[in-house]
Order: sequence, then structure tokens, then C-alpha cells
Amino acid sequence: MSHTVLVVEDDLDIRQALLEILEDHGFTALGARDGAEALGLLTRATDLPCLILLDLMMPVMDGATFREAQRRDPRLAAIPVVVLSAQRDLDRHTGSLDAVSVLLKPPSVRELVDVLRTHC
Amino acid sequence: MTTSPSEPEIPHRESADAASPGSMEERFRALVSSVKDYAIFMLDPSGRIETWNAGAERTKGYKAHEIIGQHMSRFYTPEDLERGLPLMLLAQAEREGRVESEGWRVRKDGTRFWADVVITALVDDRGKLMGYAKVTRDLTERLRAQEEQLRLAHAEEAVRLRDEFLSIAAHELRTPLSAVQLQLQGLLERPEGLDPRIRSKVERACRSGERLVALVDTLMDVSRITTGSFNLAPSRFDLTVAVQEVVERFREHATRAGSTVTVRSDGVLEGRWDRLRIEQVITNLLTNALKYAAGTPVEISLGGTEHHVMVTVSDGGPGIPESAQERIFLRFERAAPMRNFGGLGLGLYVARQIVEAHGGEIQLERLRPKGAHFVIRLPREKSPGSAG
Repeated sequence: MSHTVLVVEDDLDIRQALLEILEDHGFTALGARDGAEALGLLTRATDLPCLILLDLMMPVMDGATFREAQRRDPRLAAIPVVVLSAQRDLDRHTGSLDAVSVLLKPPSVRELVDVLRTHC
Repeated sequence: MTTSPSEPEIPHRESADAASPGSMEERFRALVSSVKDYAIFMLDPSGRIETWNAGAERTKGYKAHEIIGQHMSRFYTPEDLERGLPLMLLAQAEREGRVESEGWRVRKDGTRFWADVVITALVDDRGKLMGYAKVTRDLTERLRAQEEQLRLAHAEEAVRLRDEFLSIAAHELRTPLSAVQLQLQGLLERPEGLDPRIRSKVERACRSGERLVALVDTLMDVSRITTGSFNLAPSRFDLTVAVQEVVERFREHATRAGSTVTVRSDGVLEGRWDRLRIEQVITNLLTNALKYAAGTPVEISLGGTEHHVMVTVSDGGPGIPESAQERIFLRFERAAPMRNFGGLGLGLYVARQIVEAHGGEIQLERLRPKGAHFVIRLPREKSPGSAG
């Protein structure tokens, strides 16, 4: 199984920090700035990621819409998703997203790495 | 306000065909004359007052003998007189049959009232103007109520805008803060380690970042509480485990404060609560204890009954002065002086809102001799009817 993680996050600084942290901890990390870019990346990829780290509020295509499209695509549906939530209240009602975990932003690095090691 | 005459006053109208006592016209005049809520009177074609009733006396302050024969323009303000409003109204009534207007009018004592006025032209069967009937209502109270309502609406709008601004500002601050935190944490957690001097600087920056995140989150919570968009996401979990986890996260913080945090529990305490929110309550109480009672031992004890669980957070610090005990759960309140301790004064307020949203209560236990002792009582499951 690949150790590639796809990070879908619109904020450049957060995305960059996440990519670096993941690489520091032995993962291969790919970044996409919104749901649409992530779908494009996944469609072209020959080697699918073992996990998707997904922000919810993004321009162009938000996290929920991306997740819907991903689950409709049989090739992508099985990839587990960890939701990164900016709000500890509203975005926690993420039951319909069927995420393996919901982390609050900013997640602690240990928490993040633990979740990735469990599912990746 | 003047007192009205005990007996209905007959309209003072010099008329050749005065009705005989007890006739329909007589009774009608008595009726008009006794109406108190409306000033009803008649004007001659030039606008001079011919009759007066109890309502007119009450509204305008003149007795009948003081005003009969005077021109109706004396009820108007100097500004309205200057633009010729009284005669304009009479002319319009003559032209169109009637005219209605609202505006300030002047009482005998010079005070003003907001009047709703209807002037109807009275014409004979050949169309000749006989005079006017004027009905005036004092709407000052209604106007004041409307103004008060408007002021209230403006104030509510200002509060709403403030909360909206708070919410937007907090969200905007949150994203770059998250990025800074992640960068700093990424540095600290690099597998190859860091130069110890750099490490301690990064650790300090990280702690400051954590405090900033906590402050921004608190602002977001308060704006959610005040705008009513504060929702719970309950799930079943063991409170003892959750509290132990929070304490574990506070280990370093406690060491820096020179305190130990002990958890005593009866064992598994299961219930349905919003885990993140309950952890937040414990976090807020622990933060307070480690801030105001630094250097003293902090104890969290947990116990339960069939339907409730109790959590007590105690410290050995100076305690909360009696004068402050009532207000510490309010917004922006603190028992300690601002200059000694920072913070927004929102921790206990948010804690109480969360506990109450779960149908529980949080109190300060007053009987202990030393330190602050907060007691939280939570139903294991919120009953459907309870508030929150």
C-alpha cells in the first residue's frame, strides 16, 4: 500500500506546513487547493493515496462536495478521509461525510501522525 | 393635564335653531361634548373656533371660554405658522372636502404633542362653506413607543453587527494562526530534532500561539452563544477517561505553574454529552486553577449517581472573594484584578453555557475554607424537555 497522503486545503501556508510535516514523518504528500483540483489529481493518479486529509471550507469545490464526488467514484470511494475542521462547533456535524476521523485545526502534530499511521 | 368637568359641557355654539332639551340633536351634542379621547370642535369658515369638547380641553389645555372665538392657528408651532400650514389645511379641506395631517401641535402651556388631525369642510346644500369640523387625536404616546421601538431595534442591530464582526474577525484570525501553529509544531516534531536553544524558543512561540488560538476560539464560542448558533453534538463516552485525557494534555502546563493535578474517580462514568465541549469545560476550569492558584495542588474528583455525574475541580489558591462570587459566571467578569491576570474573562461564562446546554449546572462551593471549588452536576443524558 502506498504511503501517499493527499492534503486538500485552500490556505497555502497551512497546506505547505502539513505537506512538510507529513514528509518529515515518512509520508509522501501531495497537495490540492480545493476539491476540484483534488478530484483532477486523483483521476490522473496511477498510484492512489492511502488517505485524504480534507479541509471543509474551500472555494471552487468545498469538502462536502468533494467527498460526495469521491464516494460516487468506485475507484476512489474506498480511500479513507480525515476531516480537518476549522470550527469546533459547526463542522463537527460531519456525520454525513463518513470520515474516519475529524481533527480540529490546527491539529497537534502527534495527533495527526497517530491518525495517519492508524489508517495509512 | 386639566380635569374635565363633572358634567358634560354643552358645546358653546351661538345658534338660532338651538335644539330643545332631550331632542336627538341635544343628545348628540352632549355625546360629542363628553368625548375625552378626541378633541372634536367646529370652526367657522375663517378658521375661528366655535365649539369645544372635553377631549379638546384635555388634549390642548384650554377651557372652552378661553378658546372659543380664537383662530385655530394658535395650536400650530411657529415653524408651521411660518409656512402657513393652518390656512393651507383649511384651503385643502375646502377644496377636497377633507384633509388629514399628522404633526406637532402646541398646548396652552407651550408643550407640544403629536397630533393626528382630520379637518372636514361643512357645506350647505348649495355647496356654500359653512365651516369645518376638526377632530384631533393625541398620538404622542404612540409616537414615543414607536421611537422607543426604533431605538431598541437600532441597539439590537448594533449588537448583532458586533457579534457578526466578532465572528468574522475570529474566523479570519484563525486560519493564519493555524498555519503558524502548524509550522512551529512541525519544527518541534522533526524526527531529527532541534538545537536545544532554538527548541526552547520555538516552544515558547508555540505556547503563545496556543494561547492565541484559545482566545480566538473563545471569541468564536461567545459569538455562537450570543447568536444562538451554539449546538451540541452528543455521543456516549466515559467522563473519567475524558477528564484524564485533558489532565494529561495539561501535564506540562501544570509543571510550569508548579502545581500537581490529581484525578480521583469512582470508576467508569458513562453518559451522553458533547465530548469536545465537556473537555472544554474541564480545560477552562483547569486553566483558571493553574492561573489563579499556581503552585498549589489541584484536584479533580468525579462521582456519579444513577442519573447524574458530579465533577469537582478544587485548588488551594486564594479562592474567590464573596463579593465576586455572583458575577464570575457572567461575560467579561473576573474576580482577580485585570492588571494581575490577563484573559478575556470568558472562561467561566462559556463553561456555564456549555454545562447548562447539557441540562446541568455549575456552582461555586462556598463552604470550603480555602481555595476555589467548582462543582459541576450533569445529567447522564439530557432530558428532551430541558433547555439548551
